[in-house]
Amino acid sequence: MSAVALRPAATRSPLWIVVWAVPIAAILAVLPWVMDPYRTIQLAYGLIFAIAGLGFNILLGYTGLLSFGHSAYFGVGAYAVAFMVKYLHVQSMELFLIGTIVASLLVTALFGYVCVRYTRIFFSILTLALSQVLWSLAFKFFWVTGGTDGLRVPTPKLLGVATAESEDKIQFLSHSYYYYVLALFVGCVAVMWLIVHSPFGKALQAIRDNETRARFVGIRIRRYRFVAFLVSGVFTAIAGALWVPLNGLTTPDALVWTFSGEIVFMSVLGGFRNFTGPIVGAVVYNYLKDFAVGFTVYWQTVMGVVLVALVLALPTGIVGTAKLLAALARRRFAP
Amino acid sequence: MDILVIHLFNALLYASVLFLIAGGLSLIYGVMRIVNLAHGNLFALGAFITASAVGQWFAGSTSVWLYLLLPLGAFGAAAIGAILEPTLLRPFYRRPEEYQLLVTFGILMILEDVMRFVWGPYPVSATTLFQQMGSMTVGDWIYPRYNLLVIAIGGLAAIFLWAFIYRTNFGILLRATSQDMRRASALGVNVNLVYVQAFTIGCFMAGLGGAIIVPSQSAVLGMGVDALVLSFIVVVVGGLGSLEGALVGAVIVGLLRETAISLFPELELAVLYLIAAIVLLVRPAGLFGRAT
Amino acid sequence: MAGLGAGMAHAQEKPKGTIPDKPFKIGHMTFFTGAGAVLGEPMYKGNLLAADEINEKGGLLGKRKIEILKADEAAGTDANTKEMRRLKLSEKIDMFMGITSSGNTPALGPVAEELKLLTIFVDGCTDFLFDKAVPNPRYIFRITNIQSADGSTCALGVAMTWPEIKKVAHIHPDYSYGRNCFDHFSIVTKKVLPKAENVSEAWPKLFSTDFTPHITKTLGAKPDLLVTSLWGGDYVAFYKQALQHGLFNKMKVATTLALGSAPQSIGKDHPDGVLSGVHSNYHFTYPGGNRWPLNKTFVEKYHAKFNEYPNFQAEGAYTATYALKTAVEKANKLMGGWPDDDAIISQLEGMMIPGPGGYVYIRPDNHQGYKDAITGFSKQVPEYPFPILDPTRIITIPIRNITAPPGWPKGEPTSTYTWIDQTWPTVKTA
Repeated sequence: MSAVALRPAATRSPLWIVVWAVPIAAILAVLPWVMDPYRTIQLAYGLIFAIAGLGFNILLGYTGLLSFGHSAYFGVGAYAVAFMVKYLHVQSMELFLIGTIVASLLVTALFGYVCVRYTRIFFSILTLALSQVLWSLAFKFFWVTGGTDGLRVPTPKLLGVATAESEDKIQFLSHSYYYYVLALFVGCVAVMWLIVHSPFGKALQAIRDNETRARFVGIRIRRYRFVAFLVSGVFTAIAGALWVPLNGLTTPDALVWTFSGEIVFMSVLGGFRNFTGPIVGAVVYNYLKDFAVGFTVYWQTVMGVVLVALVLALPTGIVGTAKLLAALARRRFAP
Repeated sequence: MDILVIHLFNALLYASVLFLIAGGLSLIYGVMRIVNLAHGNLFALGAFITASAVGQWFAGSTSVWLYLLLPLGAFGAAAIGAILEPTLLRPFYRRPEEYQLLVTFGILMILEDVMRFVWGPYPVSATTLFQQMGSMTVGDWIYPRYNLLVIAIGGLAAIFLWAFIYRTNFGILLRATSQDMRRASALGVNVNLVYVQAFTIGCFMAGLGGAIIVPSQSAVLGMGVDALVLSFIVVVVGGLGSLEGALVGAVIVGLLRETAISLFPELELAVLYLIAAIVLLVRPAGLFGRAT
Repeated sequence: MAGLGAGMAHAQEKPKGTIPDKPFKIGHMTFFTGAGAVLGEPMYKGNLLAADEINEKGGLLGKRKIEILKADEAAGTDANTKEMRRLKLSEKIDMFMGITSSGNTPALGPVAEELKLLTIFVDGCTDFLFDKAVPNPRYIFRITNIQSADGSTCALGVAMTWPEIKKVAHIHPDYSYGRNCFDHFSIVTKKVLPKAENVSEAWPKLFSTDFTPHITKTLGAKPDLLVTSLWGGDYVAFYKQALQHGLFNKMKVATTLALGSAPQSIGKDHPDGVLSGVHSNYHFTYPGGNRWPLNKTFVEKYHAKFNEYPNFQAEGAYTATYALKTAVEKANKLMGGWPDDDAIISQLEGMMIPGPGGYVYIRPDNHQGYKDAITGFSKQVPEYPFPILDPTRIITIPIRNITAPPGWPKGEPTSTYTWIDQTWPTVKTA
């Protein structure tokens, strides 16, 4: 992809990220005591979508493949949790996550095998079509998936501790569950950071920038793309698994293709050429959409206009533009 | 036995509309390498515009006038396409093609709301023509004549399109640009003009699909998104970028749907997705397509 | 002024204790857009009419005016869940009302309980809500008849009118409502029309617009009767297409919800003699004339305000709003001051309230409203630009005859299904 070339973050000292990350993590940890429960739950949704965005972006930002079917993996995560509740009567969140990882590895392996043979628009269309196939299965096999009514997921046990019958669910969601999500978010960010800064991550970027040269250097293109696909799907599935207890219900809406479009939107909004882009994008998108929906019945126009304006004027997204402005400011005010 | 004839008509009816939508999508992709995610909403716009014209603005007019008004939706969709392409799509030709998906996705969202804003939340119908044409006897059964009109229009559209692309000078320009844009430009073809014309034709086709089907159904919000998914199945089966593929794909999808509803009612739509899945796993380029 | 207000509080007595005067906010969610809107949007109008009538007298207990916040159910189940939370936690609504689709009540019911949000669902009548999703409801109620009544009422209507039918075809939308109607029609038919058999099934997706293949399939099976639970925009598209195929001439047609939409959505071309269900609840022409003045004044006021006629959703929301008012007044009389949710809930449980459609009883164990089921036959009349229920052929069925009693164990697919299966005798045929 030939977009605006930004200085790769690797030349900065690794300590730089700590300067930013620690205060932000501290703020996030304190928020439930400061904000009202509704806003905290909103933020929980934002963090969950940030994990999905991180997963999505290893394909787009780092490998150069735009997947328009990521709702499939999100849905796999959500339904994995629901099936474990329905058939295995599991209640532990940890077991849910393990089940999700297993299920998503299977699905992403199958889909990835088909998709990574192709690139660019064709790859995008394939991913979209495959996610719709999953959607139609969830829709049709109602005796398994509950169809459009969906499957209920009761409050899970976090770390083996069940919530008391008397505890207020809203309190649970805005405190215990929020911290659980936050912890997993931090973990996912850390893992993804390591992945993209590893030799594997560098190889992906080489493939993105110049496929022919990468092949000449000896990188097995398809294999690397395949592994990136797997990682991407698993992260997004984890987000799906975390998302279900917030709603208490999973329906085929989690698999619909327009939701995939939203995931893409989030990453582009934040800036897909940066590591933190999808995180910022997901959180901002979440607030933006909730605001738009509450503000006007024509919220789709608001979101559509934002997307078009974004792609026209600010293709590097929020984080990318912020970095650009910071670089300009430094040059202006440098001695 | 004659019930089979009726089933065949139903399948061709569905196929006609699908061909128009998917054909438009394929044409646009073939020439411009753009996947227009908002394409389904141009189909919906065609339906709404014709429904308003026939069902509301000129309701009660003589039927001749109403027939002439029928394609109004197609022209409306084409006009909107002609506006959209130079303003919102052209800035992205130099950009990576993924951005085009994003822009068309944004346009999809905006168009959904435009339709809600202009036509309100309720379905709009225009059943006068459908009822006026009455029904004809087919063996033991009666069948609405209007459906046969739709099939005829679909067939005619296919023929016209084929003639247009393979028998006219403009068709030569279109094919040249689709095969190698740079060389065509080097030879003096005004690529921008070809692009806007191709996009307009594609939108015209989608709008025509909406316009001709609306008298027998109605224009409902959300029909565009549904139509896009169906046309995707058609191009997956037939091959993206190929008009023959769109035609064959549409007929296959129409026949499959009819068969499924008759014989496996529980499966209905799932059959279409299953076929799409099988084609994707076995021959992802589709029957007539070429993958990049 | 006449109306429910006069029927309820015996006179405008002064409330006991001090009542705050901040507005009482009701969050109302129903289909405002799309094909579901012809069924759902009148629900909001019913709520609005009742609220305006109450506000004219100063509001609830004469002090708290009702304010309604709208939300569109067409946004999808996930979005609706978020919106309910937002309405309660951010907009601080006092009560939630609405919901048309049966897909949404099982999702939103548990959320309302979690939020401790007083809720009266107007529709979304699936048995699943109180059978499985929330078997011991505290904060949620539902006012219109339970879904299983639809299939049963339709089947009984068929058995009373066309007992000679043998071959039955089905067209139902592919979601829980369609399946529920199919199941209950089938189990009742098994008992009262044991010779009847199913010869064809079709399951179009909800909110389809093309029913041609389903119509053709049905015709090909040459049935005596077609049973369909298509509703709203789907039913309109269906009957217009079916007319062109001559379907209504080749078989009898029985529906569960054909005339339940806003009446003007069905046209003058609709054939007569179709068994036209109204979701077992209400059609504005019945009871007619002066037979039940509550209905007469309700219809007049609704028509005057909105220039159209009410459907069962409007009647349900109107009655629900007055149920709230009655509960608040009774609780206030007992305890003084503005009653808390627990007090209102305890008054709603076991309440028997007359509405425009008849008496509604809110059963205390499952918070479900029960009223006698009605259905009838479509008829075009000169007074209205749309078909109504033929006033000479209305069928009413006591609700206790077709729904499982309190204490009957929960069953698959519904407790009413197992109750019919196990307790109804099979009719002997010659």
